[in-house]
Amino acid sequence: MNNSQHPIARKTGLVVQEVPDEVLVYDLESNKAHCLNQSAAMIWKSCDGNNSVSEIAKLVENQAGGKVTEDFVWLAIDQLSENNLLEKQIPSNFEGTSRREVIKKIGLASMVAIPVIASLVAPQSALAASSCVCNGPGACNLNGPNGQCPGRTCNGAGLCVAP
Amino acid sequence: MRVKLEASNPELLRDAKQTARRALLDRFRILESTEAEHTFGFTSDESGKIFLFQDGERTSYDTSQTRFFKFFNSMLRIVVAEHAVGTVFIHAGVVGRRGKAIIIPANSFQGKTTLVAEMVKCGAEYYSDEYAVIDENGMVHPFPRDLSVRDENFGEKEVPVTELGGKTGIKPIPIGAVLLTEYVENGAWKPRQLTVGQGIMEIIPHTIPRNFNTEFSLKVLNTAVSDAIILKSPRGDAREFAIKFLSFFDNFINLA
Repeated sequence: MNNSQHPIARKTGLVVQEVPDEVLVYDLESNKAHCLNQSAAMIWKSCDGNNSVSEIAKLVENQAGGKVTEDFVWLAIDQLSENNLLEKQIPSNFEGTSRREVIKKIGLASMVAIPVIASLVAPQSALAASSCVCNGPGACNLNGPNGQCPGRTCNGAGLCVAP
Repeated sequence: MRVKLEASNPELLRDAKQTARRALLDRFRILESTEAEHTFGFTSDESGKIFLFQDGERTSYDTSQTRFFKFFNSMLRIVVAEHAVGTVFIHAGVVGRRGKAIIIPANSFQGKTTLVAEMVKCGAEYYSDEYAVIDENGMVHPFPRDLSVRDENFGEKEVPVTELGGKTGIKPIPIGAVLLTEYVENGAWKPRQLTVGQGIMEIIPHTIPRNFNTEFSLKVLNTAVSDAIILKSPRGDAREFAIKFLSFFDNFINLA
């Protein structure tokens, strides 16, 4: 365990939107969207390169009004690092332990909501969210269940039609 | 936004203009300017093939004029949806009820139009079966093209809302509910209420300008759904669900 780490939140290539009790972060480089709950957001905002993990724990404890351990902070840092939301990747502090076990351990001891980051990869093209169209013969796969336009084939002109 | 249409012959240009008129529900002006952010070009060859060019690149061709212009219709709507200034287009069905919008973001083939049609038959106002058009204040504007109803063979027919006995919403309205649902055979409606952040995460994949204008899109989504109830669950039969949900929604609005 290295609690002398001073993590830095990534700033570039991100669009940040505060919503009630959460923070949305859209990564323009990977087209990934992340939703940070209040605890994860507080920790992320405290990662200014000056605060150590133990200092972040104290800051969050003051803001959240409940006991916050360094493991609690590490749980967030692990997820932030994994999702490329820190300037530099930081190795996991829980090697050999599953996140589920860590959450169980921290969750039982904490009165503050455990930090959670939900992520998704947004489709790159607007076409993927539109009508049943295709971009080449046999490529009728831009939409529909399981990536197919059911019962249709591409007519070679961009339209999926009944065979 | 400005879109230029150019064609190698007057007939193609006429057909392209007519298609644009239908695609954009007649909501455009013809400009004298030759400057445009996007250009669609049309040419044909001696065999009768028609070619579509988008910003100088050939994107499609067809020998069937009907199919060709149907495709152009889709492409034009996508380009407008992605680049429209001051609005965010979400791929969603929309109805109005008691002055609030119910939006149903979903991909194609998930029963969006069917559900919208059933809600309209139950008295909801029709706004769109394709796009929720949201302005910077979070208000949803009508985009009431004819409903694109599919049959069991995946054929499509366009049905005017009046044929369903419904009427079209006229005013921009705020969002009252976001329904994240899809048809599942014998599916039971057991909704989970999502937070604003979770809801926006679900809407992002259906938000057309998410890559082109991310910051504005997220800001508008936040404004638009922050006072809405956001529910997620599979559903069963559209008719039964529409009756049940609208009854719930009426009570919800009364209590709010």
